[in-house]
Amino acid sequence: MKGNNSMSRLPKNPLEAVEIARRQMTLFFIVDTSGSMQGEKIAAVNTAIREVLPELAGISSENADAQIKVACLQFATEVKWLFSPTEVEGMQWNDLPAGGLTNLGSAISELNDKLSRNKFMNSPTGNFAPVLFLLSDGMPSDSYQSALATIQENKWFNVAIKAAVAIGDDANKQVLAEFTGNSELLLTAHTPEDLKALIRFVSVTSSKIGSQSSGVGVGNAAAQNGTEVKQAEFAEQVQEFKADNQDLDALTDGF
Amino acid sequence: MKTLKQGTTIPLSNGSTAVVKSLLGEGGQGAVYLAQVDGKDYALKIYAKRPSKKFMLNLLDNIRKGAPTKHFLWPKWMVNSPVYSGYVMDVRPKEYIEFSRFLIAKARFASWSALINGAMEITYAFRELHRAGLSYQDLNDGNFFFNPKTGSVLICDNDNVCPPDTNLGIRGKFRYMAPEVILCKNNPNNLSDYFSLSVILFMLLMNNHPLDGRRVASVPCLNDAIERHVYGEHPIFIYDLKDDSNRPVSGVHTNVRQRWQLFPQFVRDTFFKQFSAEVMANPNKRMADNEWLKVLQQLRNQTLRCDCGYETFAEVGSGTFCYTCGKQLGKPLTLSIGKQHIALYPGMCLYANQTSAKDDAFTVTGEVVRNAKDPYVWGIINRSQDTWTCTLPDGRTVNIESNMGFPIYRGMDVQFSQTRNGKIDRVIIKPDRVIM
Repeated sequence: MKGNNSMSRLPKNPLEAVEIARRQMTLFFIVDTSGSMQGEKIAAVNTAIREVLPELAGISSENADAQIKVACLQFATEVKWLFSPTEVEGMQWNDLPAGGLTNLGSAISELNDKLSRNKFMNSPTGNFAPVLFLLSDGMPSDSYQSALATIQENKWFNVAIKAAVAIGDDANKQVLAEFTGNSELLLTAHTPEDLKALIRFVSVTSSKIGSQSSGVGVGNAAAQNGTEVKQAEFAEQVQEFKADNQDLDALTDGF
Repeated sequence: MKTLKQGTTIPLSNGSTAVVKSLLGEGGQGAVYLAQVDGKDYALKIYAKRPSKKFMLNLLDNIRKGAPTKHFLWPKWMVNSPVYSGYVMDVRPKEYIEFSRFLIAKARFASWSALINGAMEITYAFRELHRAGLSYQDLNDGNFFFNPKTGSVLICDNDNVCPPDTNLGIRGKFRYMAPEVILCKNNPNNLSDYFSLSVILFMLLMNNHPLDGRRVASVPCLNDAIERHVYGEHPIFIYDLKDDSNRPVSGVHTNVRQRWQLFPQFVRDTFFKQFSAEVMANPNKRMADNEWLKVLQQLRNQTLRCDCGYETFAEVGSGTFCYTCGKQLGKPLTLSIGKQHIALYPGMCLYANQTSAKDDAFTVTGEVVRNAKDPYVWGIINRSQDTWTCTLPDGRTVNIESNMGFPIYRGMDVQFSQTRNGKIDRVIIKPDRVIM
C-alpha cells in the first residue's frame, strides 16, 4: 500500500464499519377490514400487530442475514396500503379502521402488482422470499378466482411463506386455504385471545424462518421434491403449534 | 412445546433440580431458559421435540468428555425427566455480544488487536475441538459471542458437536456451510468446519460475506434453489483472481471495499487461496485451523499502535503509516523467529509459542518498550520466567533475566530457549515466507 490516496474514503477509525449488506425480508399483513371486522376483531388485530412489532424488531436487530420489513394491505370496499415495506425497527403502527365490503380479489390483484422487482421488491441488496399473511373473517364479496389464478403465476408468490388466519367460523376457510395453497397453513381464531396468539405465532415464526439463510435440515427432504425449504420448515412449525394448542380448536366461537 | 412457566422444576442427571427463572431465547430446535441449580444461575436448554436416541447418547458422551477449551459453553448435566429433554450449561456473561450484532454494526471491537484476538481464540478453540476428535458441524454467526473490549470469545450451541461424518440431523445455514455439505455429498466433518471457519474469519476481518458480491446482490429473490447455487453448486469469491463476476458493489458492500486493502498482502493471499474455486471444491486442500492460527498470529505481529491511539498494519519491511492520522511510522526492524516475523514497535508483544516450545499463542512473554530516558531507544523486556541470551553483532553475549530488557539492534541474535532463536533485522515479508 503506497500513499494515502487510496485510503481517502476510510472513516477516521477503519473499525467503524457500516452495517453488513443484508437482504430484505418483508412480512405482508393482508387484513380484511370489512364491516364485519368492526369492534373487538379489528381491535384484537391492531393490538396483536402493535405488540408483535417490537418482537420482530428484536429479531431483525440480531440478524446479519436479513433486515425485516413489514407491509400492510387492508381490504374492504377499497384496497389500500396502510404501510408499504417499512423497516420494523422503530416502526409505528397506525390502527386499521373497519367498514365496507370484503373485496379480496382486488386485494390479491394489488398484492400481485406490488410483488415485483420494479415495485416493492426492489432492495439493492436483494430479498429473501416474503411472508404473506392473510387475515379474514368473511366471504369475498368480489370474484377472487381470476386474481388468485394470476398471482399463482407470480414467482414471488410461489416462493413466499404463506399463512392465513380465519377469524371466527363465519370465515370462508376454503378461500383462505386456496390462498395459502395448503389447508394445513390455515389457522382459526375463535376469541380475541386466540387471534392475538395466532398473529404472534405466525408473525414471529415465519419471520425467523424467512429472514435467515436457508439450511439443510428438516426441510431438506422437502427440497428434494421441489418444495421450498423455508415453506416446509414453517409448515412443520404450524403443525407443532396446532398439536400443542389443540384446545383452541375445541373452543366455541367467542366472536 | 409450550413455554415453561417461572418456578417449573426440572430434575437433572447430577441429582439436582433446575428451577426455571425466565425465557432467554427460542429457536427452531427448542428454548433456552435462565434457571437456578443449587443456588447458582445456569442456562437450561429444553428441546421442542425429544431428539433421537443417537443425539442424546452423543450429548451424554460430550458431557463425559468435557469442554475442549474454556471458550465453549459446554453441556454440563442432562435433563433427567420423562417429559422434558435438554441440558444445562453456563450462562453467557452480559459483556459477551452476539457476532451478528458486530456484523450489523450495532457492536464494535475496541481495536484491531481485540478483533484479531477474537479471531485467534475461535481458531484455537476449533483446533482443540478437532484435535479432540470432534467436529462442530454447523458453524454460523449465531454461535459466537465476543467481548468487544478484549475480543475474547464464547461458543454456544455445542449440542451438535460430534465425531466427524456423523449425521445427527443437524440444521445449519447455507451461507456458512461448505459446498459439499449444502449439496449433501457428505456429512459435516473437520474439512467442512475448516471452510466455515474461513467464512467466519473473513466476516470478522472484512465485515462482509466472502461470497456476497455483485452476483448475489443482483438476485432479486434469494430462494432455496438460488442459495444452493451461489453457496453450494457454484460459489465465487468476491475477489476471485480468475473470475471478476462477483466483485463487491460500491454503496452496498462498503466495509470490505474499505478494509480489504488495509490488511497485509499475506492475509489477502490466504483468502485468495482458501476461497479459490479449486480449494472450495476440494475439501482436502483446505487449510487446517492450526495454519490459520499462524496466519492470524503473523497479522498480530504486524499490528502497530500509533501514538494517536489507533492501530495500523505494517507491511513489514516497507514504510508503514497510520490509517487514522496518516503519520509515517518508518520501517520497523523485525524479529524473525522461525517463520514468524514480529514488527518491533513499542507495545508489540512476544508470546509463549514464539519464545519457547510451549504451544501457547496467548501468554505474553516479551514486550517492546521505549527507553524511559530516551524514547527514541526501543528495547525488549523479558516477561517470561526464562533467561534469554542476546548475541550482539560483535559477538559478545549478554544474559537477559526475567523482567530485564535489552535495546534492539539490527543484526542481533536472541536465544529465547533451547528451541527458539530469533534474529533482528529488517525483513521484507513476502507471502511465501508466511506459513499458508
